[in-house]
Order: sequence, then structure tokens, then C-alpha cells
Amino acid sequence: MSLEQPRPELDVGETPDGEVDYDELAELLGEYVLDRESHVNAEGFVIRPDDVVAVLDILKRDAGFDNLSCVTAQEYYDRYESIYHLKKYDDPTQELSVVVPTLRDEPVSQSAASVFDTANWHEREAYDLVGIEYEDHPDLRRILLPDTWQGHPLSLDYNQDQPQIVALREHADPMEHRSEVPDEQDTMFINIGPHHPATHGVLHLRTVLDGEQVIDVDPDLGYLHRCEEQMCQQSTYRHQIMPYPDRWDYISAGILNEWAYARAAESLADIDVPEYAQIIRTMSAEMCRIASHLLAVGTFALDIYGDFTAIFMYAITDREKVENLLEDLTGQRLMFNYLRLRGVAWDLPEPREEYFEKVREFCTYVPERLEEYHNLLSANELFQMRVIDTGILPPEVAKAYGCTGPVARGSGIDYDIRRDDPYGYYDELEWDVITDDGCDNFSRAFVRLEEIRQSARIIEQCVDLLEEWPEDEREIQSNVPRTLKPDADSEVYRTVEAAKGELGIYIRADGTDKPARFKIRSPAFCNLQSLEVMAEGEYVPDMVAALGSLDIVLGEVDR
Amino acid sequence: MVELLPETVSDLIGIEGFAVEFLAAIVGAAIIGTIIMLQTALAGPWAKRKITAAFTDRISVNKFGPWGVGIIIPDSVRLLSKELIVPEGADRPAWDLAPLVIASSALLGFAVIPMGDLGPINFHLADPEVGLAFVFAIASIASIGLVMAGYSSNNKYSFLGGLRAVAQNLAYEIPLIIVGISVVIFAGSLQMSEIVAAQQQTLVELGPVAIPAWFAILNPFAFFLFLAANMAEVGRNPFDIPEAPTEIVAGFQTEYSSVYFVLIYLGEFIHIFLGGAIIATIFLGGPAGPILPGIVWFLIKIWAVFLLTQWLRSALPRVRIDQLIEIGWKQLLVLAFLNLFLTALIVGVLAA
Repeated sequence: MSLEQPRPELDVGETPDGEVDYDELAELLGEYVLDRESHVNAEGFVIRPDDVVAVLDILKRDAGFDNLSCVTAQEYYDRYESIYHLKKYDDPTQELSVVVPTLRDEPVSQSAASVFDTANWHEREAYDLVGIEYEDHPDLRRILLPDTWQGHPLSLDYNQDQPQIVALREHADPMEHRSEVPDEQDTMFINIGPHHPATHGVLHLRTVLDGEQVIDVDPDLGYLHRCEEQMCQQSTYRHQIMPYPDRWDYISAGILNEWAYARAAESLADIDVPEYAQIIRTMSAEMCRIASHLLAVGTFALDIYGDFTAIFMYAITDREKVENLLEDLTGQRLMFNYLRLRGVAWDLPEPREEYFEKVREFCTYVPERLEEYHNLLSANELFQMRVIDTGILPPEVAKAYGCTGPVARGSGIDYDIRRDDPYGYYDELEWDVITDDGCDNFSRAFVRLEEIRQSARIIEQCVDLLEEWPEDEREIQSNVPRTLKPDADSEVYRTVEAAKGELGIYIRADGTDKPARFKIRSPAFCNLQSLEVMAEGEYVPDMVAALGSLDIVLGEVDR
Repeated sequence: MVELLPETVSDLIGIEGFAVEFLAAIVGAAIIGTIIMLQTALAGPWAKRKITAAFTDRISVNKFGPWGVGIIIPDSVRLLSKELIVPEGADRPAWDLAPLVIASSALLGFAVIPMGDLGPINFHLADPEVGLAFVFAIASIASIGLVMAGYSSNNKYSFLGGLRAVAQNLAYEIPLIIVGISVVIFAGSLQMSEIVAAQQQTLVELGPVAIPAWFAILNPFAFFLFLAANMAEVGRNPFDIPEAPTEIVAGFQTEYSSVYFVLIYLGEFIHIFLGGAIIATIFLGGPAGPILPGIVWFLIKIWAVFLLTQWLRSALPRVRIDQLIEIGWKQLLVLAFLNLFLTALIVGVLAA
């Protein structure tokens, strides 16, 4: 694996063996650093709310922290806090948290949107749910909740029983002020969604068109907001949280999501997972990835072809096959609830040989089918005409918007958490990270297709390992106390490579059996931000194609 | 000269006079209309599903009647019994007329199509000297219907769909007609019966099999050009841009429901069959064919074209509107003129 990629020079604060030298970083930032905290995944530098831009700019420019993975906002009894989780695209194991506390009675903090474009939506979410205000933010509106919502639901003094009353006269036509376009302009405002065949769910794109060309597009989210973070905060670590991740990216990527929570909680509570369970996790997670990518390719073809054509049906048919394998393993087809903190729920189905044979058969079947998909899609001239050189996302822009997963890899960014920050059994297996330099809609679809092949390779190797595993060492769970109570004030932010990209979970423990703050970094949420860049100046059909190539799932975007 | 259908009917009645002729013409038109409607009834709710299902490895309707063909009845009841929703601010007469214009314009085109014979009956309503010109003219009236539907619905998606429809039809009508003219040069007439008759000679004899001089065989280049332009003309994949469900919802027909939707839907299918009928008449020897009666051959030919549209629908991505216009104006039109020029040259030289 290429963890040891030759790097031209070391960033400031980087040791030769790829670790972060926090002392050197603190020196670099000088008096900006008020205090240093220790989180489980990285150190946190506490800074003043009006130094945010300066600090992040130095860290990005001089120390190479070019990935603002997530912004977590939370309220303590004495203060508000925004945490900027920084990483590097070159090496995501080098992490740093920038902690920005603000006063309780005046929660105003500088916006990081001028340094990282991706901070725009993250800070809007923080404002919406927690109530921190960001100075100089380009567009500080609510993002998940309706504009008329009263109060900030994740703040401590929020009264859940307070009725949300909005006078009709204030909101008679919620679209009114949004659809105003000056008379003299030759443009047309059009609402694409929330009920539109191409939005892959309830997404609403406020679009301004000039003829057929997209002048401006502004995604409006939150139609599927289900308070997932809050629900997790009210559930116990050990059993109650695990079913929720299945419902974020609900299109069969369940185990990948469960692993995100498992990884964060296991590193927070310092739980070991038996190797045997890790292999099962790896295998089942890659099955989920295949299912998810097949659906992504199928619906992308649906967007381009415009009808339920053979490709969509083939993708669904093949997805059925992998769903059947997952059903045999987990008992479920979508909401698996298969992982447990410390391992997996149960061992492989009996008779094992039969199951291995089925999985093997599928793994040899996948490359054959991929030829068919390539014939139908990537080798199809009409298809190429539609998707090559449309929806361009240059790598620098992709990084600024925090794009990850196939979207980033389709822009030539060689970034995959499975390899760069290994977990599970990935670093023991032979597989490749697929990248493509096209930066267009075609590349993103192409990367997904090829990743299916790699996932099949991983599954095949897992089956080999599982088959040879000695019978008396098949340990699926390690021992953990019945009630998990991680130490108070321990904080962790961990990511995994989910189907759509980097899925991160931030947990802060307060000594009870429930998390004090549970934050989800949704890859689709971050990727969707870049739609603006891809779509503006393109034709409507290309915007639809770009949206399809992002492969968003609104359950994950809105949480 | 074979007797036309209204003449057959009036002969059956056996009384002379204008009133009888008029009645006979109406009866003849009703017969032709019914035949075409039967095809669309079969195509719309049933054959389209079955064909698409076959292409995509599905089963589709199979519960009601043989091969599920009975689904036509509940489907019609369902479609007709739905609520007719009139959008706020719709431009009423135009909005109501558009579905009629779309459906009837395509149906009118069949007036001049020679559909072959069955025993003593010749299914051909009228045979004016300008038959081909008439059919092209009538078929293009549908564009007006599309614009009416698009603009009067008071919906931005409909409006975009209407605009796309005009842009598309302009870009494809011209190459279509120019390719059609090359056939006229071959046949030396615009009259449909003449065009069909011109294709009945034997081109070459291959042992016992006589290859007829169908224009598709004489000039395959023109045939393929015409097929391509026709796909755009009837607005099917890869040129179904005015509807483009994943882009502009349903284009010009977004706001239509119930009976009006049925009419538009019907109009589209009649249009596909009219396209097939034109192709059959001017390229595939009309109703000509061995053993089976002419009408059967004719129906086989138009269904073959229908099958082609469904095949492309299942296999090809939709092109973008700017790409479509480019293909139309920059490529098809040039090729159409080239074809016309070469045909004129060859026919002129051969005739001389």
C-alpha cells in the first residue's frame, strides 16, 4: 500500500514518519493558541473566536491541513464551542482540532468560509441547530430547518414542547421572496424539486436559468431531516445507537455507516475488536459498497438516458444478488443492524461452505457484469457525448469543498480512508484505490464502476481468510462491560470510507451511558455543496447529470 | 387503378349522389381511424410495456388476458376516470385545444396512406396528387399543438418543453422533407399510389427470390437518414427532449391529466405509427409483400418501426438539446442535401 508515498518536503509540524508534531504547530501559531486540549484522535488548539481565519489560514498554507473535514458545534453550560476538524488529503492520519469557544451570552465567532469553502454549509448547520453566529459568513441562513423555525434545537435551553407557530401572513407563500428575479433580466427562476424526477429524493434546487443555461443554483435541504444526531444523543452507546446509522445512507450502505459509529465509539471507549470479526466487517461492508455503487450507477444512467433502461434494471438485478448475500448474513436487506461495538452480531450463516460458495460465485460474476456495464455506459458514444467534459470539478475546488469518496477520486485526488487511515482488515488485503483525472461526470461514474471490481477483490480475499480460519478461534465479539460509560469529557472524531465518501462521527462523552454530543459528518452533505461549481454555466441536463454523478442520498444529507 | 375505400363503401350502398359519397367518405375515415386507434390501444398500454420489459429482463403485465393484453381495458378506465386538473392561470381555449391538435394532426395524415388490401377492400382513403406533401404538412401541425400546450399551461417546465419542441421540430423537419424529396425524384410523383407502384418493379432476381426495387434498397443512405430524422420528428429516444422526464419533469405535458393526457399520449403513439406509415410507404414498398394480404404487410412494417423506437428507447441515452440542434442543422441537413444532390445526379444521368 502506498502509505509511504514519497513526499517532496515535510510540512511544518510533520515528523519524518508521518506523525503530527503538535509542539511545532503550536510554535507556528504562536500566541494564537490559548490552550491545548487532548482529544482521542488528535490534539485540540483552543483559539479566540476572532482569530479563526488567521489560524486556519496559517494551518492550511504552512502546515498543509487542506481538508476541513467537519465543523462540530456544541453548547456547554458555560460556553459554546465550534470545533474545526482538520486533516490532510495527503495523509488523513495527521489530524488537528481547532477549538473555538465563545461566550454563552454572545455566541459570535469568526467564519472560516473564506479559508475553506466547505465551512459555509457546516457553519450554517451549526447556526441552525446550535445557535452559534458566524461573523462574515457569506450566507448565514438556516439550512436543515425551515426559515421560520423558532429556537435552536441542539442548544441546552431549547424547549422541545414549544409550539412552532408561524403566522400565515408571514409565510403565506414560502417561495415568494425566493423567486423574485428583477424584471429587466432575461432569466427565469425555476424550482427543481422537491418533487422532481431527477433529485434522487426530496432535494429542492432553487435555480435561475438563462434559456437552458444554469446561472445560479442553490440547494435547499432539510426535507428529510429526522434529528438523527439528537436521537443518537438520547440513546445508549452499547445498543441503542447502532440501528440509526443504517438510516442515514439508507440505500443499502448500512454496514458502512454502522462502521463509522463503531469505529468512533470503539476508539473512544478503547474496545478491541477480534480479528475474525474485523474480516467479517470488511467483507460485509464491501458488499454494501457494491450494492450502493450499483444503485448509483443505475440511477446515474437513469438520469442520462431518461427512461428506465436496461442499465438501471441490470444494476437493480445485480444489486438484488448482493442484497441476498447480505440478507443471508445479517437477516436484513437494508437496515442491517449487524455490527456491534466490539464485533459483529453473529457469525456467518451455516452451512458456511454453501455461503462461501455463493459469495465466490458473486465475486467471479461481478467482473463479467462490469464488462457489460462498460459496454453499455462508458464505451457508449452517445453516453460519452453527454457526460465527458460536463460537470467539471477541478481537484483544488474539490478539496476546498471537502469532497471525498468517488467524487474526489473522480477529480484525481488519491484519497481513500480505507488505505490512508486503515481500519478493519483493509491494510492486510490486496486492492487498489481507483482515481481518474477527468474531473467530469464521466470520471465519477467510471470510478464507481471500477470500485465495484475492487470491492469484489476484497470480498474474495476475505472469504479465503474466513474459510481457513481455525474453528476454535472464530471470535465474533470481545468482552465489554454491559453498560459503556466512556470517561467524562473525552472527545473523539473518527472517519471511515462510506459509500459516498468520508463518513465521520464526533462523540463527546460526559461520563454517562449516552453521548453528550453526537455529530455526523455526512459525505453527501459535503459533496452536494460542490454542485454549484459543477452546474453553473452548464445546461439543465448537465446539472441533472452532475447531481446524479454526486450520488447523494437525502437521508444522509439531511440526517 | 384500384378503387379507394370510400368508393367501395358507396358501391356497397349502391345509390348515387353527393350525400351518399359524403357518408361513404365518413364511414371510410371511421374504418381507417378505428384501425389506427386499435394499433395505438395495443401499443400504448400493452406492447410498449412488453417490449421494454423484454429489453430490460422483466416480465411486465401478465395477469389479465393472454400475455396480459387485457390490461388495455383497466388501463383505459383508469386513465379516463381520473380527475381533470386545470392549472391556475391556464390559457383556456389554447390549453383545451392543444391535446386535440396533437392527436388529430397525426391521425389526419393517414388519410392519404395506402394501407393495402384485404380481399376486395383497399384501405386507402384518398389519393391526391400532392399526397406526400400533404402528409408532411399535416404531421408538422403537431408542433403547433406542442407549443400551445407548452405555453398555455402556465408552468415553466411546460414552457421549456414547448420551446424545446419547436427548436427540435425545426431542426428535423427540414432534413426529413429533403430526404423525402429524393424519393420523389426516384418515383417522379408526389402521389402516394405512384410512389408505391414505382417500388413494385423487380430490382434483381436472386434465383427464385425477386428483390423488389424498394427505395430502402435502392438508396439505403436516404433510408437511414430518414429513420434518424423521423426519430427526432416523433420525439422518441434519443431525441425525446421536449419531454425529458429527468430534466423538465414531463415538458409540455406536465400539467395535463385525465382525458387530455390520454389524448396527448395517444397523439404521440399515432405519430409514431404515422412516421412508420410514411417510412413503409416511401421506402419499404408500402403494403407490398408475398403471400399475406397487403394490410397485414403494412401493419407488420409500421409495427417494425414502432419496435425500433422502443428498442432505441431502451438502449440509447438522450442527447442534450444543444447537441440535438447541432446534429440536426450541421450534420443531418448537410447529409440530406448531399443525398438529394446525388440522387438527382444519378437519376438524371440514368434517365438520360
